[in-house]
Amino acid sequence: MRRARRGDREAASLLFRRYWRDAWRAAYAITGRRSLADDVAADGFERAFAALGRFDDRRPFGPWLHRIVANRALDLLRAERRLSDEELPDTPDLAPAHATGDRGLLAAVGDLSLERRVVVVLRYGVGMTPKQIAEALDLPVGTVNSRLSRALEQLREMLEVEHVE
Amino acid sequence: MSSELERRLEGLFAQGPEPEPGAAEEARHRALRALRPVATPHRGLRAAVLAFAGVVVLLVIAAGSLAAAGALHVSIGAKPKPARPTPHLTLPKRANGVAAIVDGRLSVVARGGFRSEVAASAAALSPRALYVAAGIGDSLVAMAPDGRRAWSRPVGGKVVAIAWAPDGFQIAYVVHTGQRYVLHVIYGNGIHDTLIDRSVRAVRPTWRADSLAFAYVGGGGRAIVYDLGHQSREVVAVDPPVTAVAFAPSGDALALRGTSGVSLVEQSAFRHIAAADVEAFGWLHGRLAVAVPGPGSAVIRLFAPDGASRGSFRARGIVRAITPRLVVVQRKQDVVAGQTTLFAIPRHATIRGLEIG
Repeated sequence: MRRARRGDREAASLLFRRYWRDAWRAAYAITGRRSLADDVAADGFERAFAALGRFDDRRPFGPWLHRIVANRALDLLRAERRLSDEELPDTPDLAPAHATGDRGLLAAVGDLSLERRVVVVLRYGVGMTPKQIAEALDLPVGTVNSRLSRALEQLREMLEVEHVE
Repeated sequence: MSSELERRLEGLFAQGPEPEPGAAEEARHRALRALRPVATPHRGLRAAVLAFAGVVVLLVIAAGSLAAAGALHVSIGAKPKPARPTPHLTLPKRANGVAAIVDGRLSVVARGGFRSEVAASAAALSPRALYVAAGIGDSLVAMAPDGRRAWSRPVGGKVVAIAWAPDGFQIAYVVHTGQRYVLHVIYGNGIHDTLIDRSVRAVRPTWRADSLAFAYVGGGGRAIVYDLGHQSREVVAVDPPVTAVAFAPSGDALALRGTSGVSLVEQSAFRHIAAADVEAFGWLHGRLAVAVPGPGSAVIRLFAPDGASRGSFRARGIVRAITPRLVVVQRKQDVVAGQTTLFAIPRHATIRGLEIG
């Protein structure tokens, strides 16, 4: 990390290789679209590397990067909603990409509100703790826990309905 | 229940898709370009400066001794070249967009609002410059008006030429894979990629006005017209090697540049237009324009699609491109289209894919 901060491209490349996959998957899980995930993850790294000078290297890089990626994804999705509220579903191509997975759960995650889906993705997709998510999204930890709890509750309800049907 | 659900969620995300390699490579380049070195801390700076000064003094003494003995030749000016800044483009009046690759970096500006500057191997504007398709790393990428990527497709090599169909629905592109250049056609939304020819030349294809056919240069150097509707090929009877092809913006006249100069083919009628010394050619206001270099200026000769002469005019400077409405010339470091200076380029910079949409 220190070498990357000093502008060492080799060290920065290593940093990129280590975190790219996680950052991209987080972006994909939030946006639900490959093209957006490519953009969001690339933007996230670009912003993170441009701001490495301000990064406190005693702290872990991953949560900081995920914070940038998550916020960038949210900004893009919100902008799209503003531009085209009716045309764009929240997770247009999430289902085909996961076609072999847990379809019911996948559909239920796709039905969560953007705010709830983001905390679920960061918690279970990226493996961040509620505290890290709170820092990443600039939210109180209590709000994160509350959103997680409500999201899980909503998912359980949706899965039960699906099971009954 | 909750813990089981949490395990299912972790499993669900663990099965998620993986990023495509092309996207990673492009993102890595972008990220590395954004890297800003942080100044080293001041602690120990004085000691370092003193040590450096000592080394310099020793080197000067040693160099002086060697120079005096004739054993050292000092040359100045062999410094590594600093990275050139990407030129900022200016949009000419009534144009929708401009794209140019200067020393390997693509600059785009469009009336729709986007301005993009990235490392690219080839680029093409869509009709009305609503999108730009570019070869970035080993991917073909389409960028939307807000500058973000509309789609990206790994193509297994460097894209060397791109041509967007006049109706905007398809893109023909040439990619360098291993030892060969390969021609593909892909839909404008990034799906249905089709291999057309496994061996072609690295020449930009050109679309017929109806978007139902395009011309390219095959591996043997012959011009070939590919009909998409019939999936058929017709070899154009012009001696190889053909180095450039350009369909007229209406009708089916095809201009070609070969070893003997520029030729015109329309409805199987062939006409030789100009001798070998051609600076640039293209279709200008529906007429074939051929730029022949002269001292300080070029003569632009105009021809109707049937080959009939339609006069000529002079253009001061070196003709860099002939676009549907403007002749682009370079005068010293300025690249000019009509009354607009598109951009200034560094001395000896290379320009490729200059296009005004």
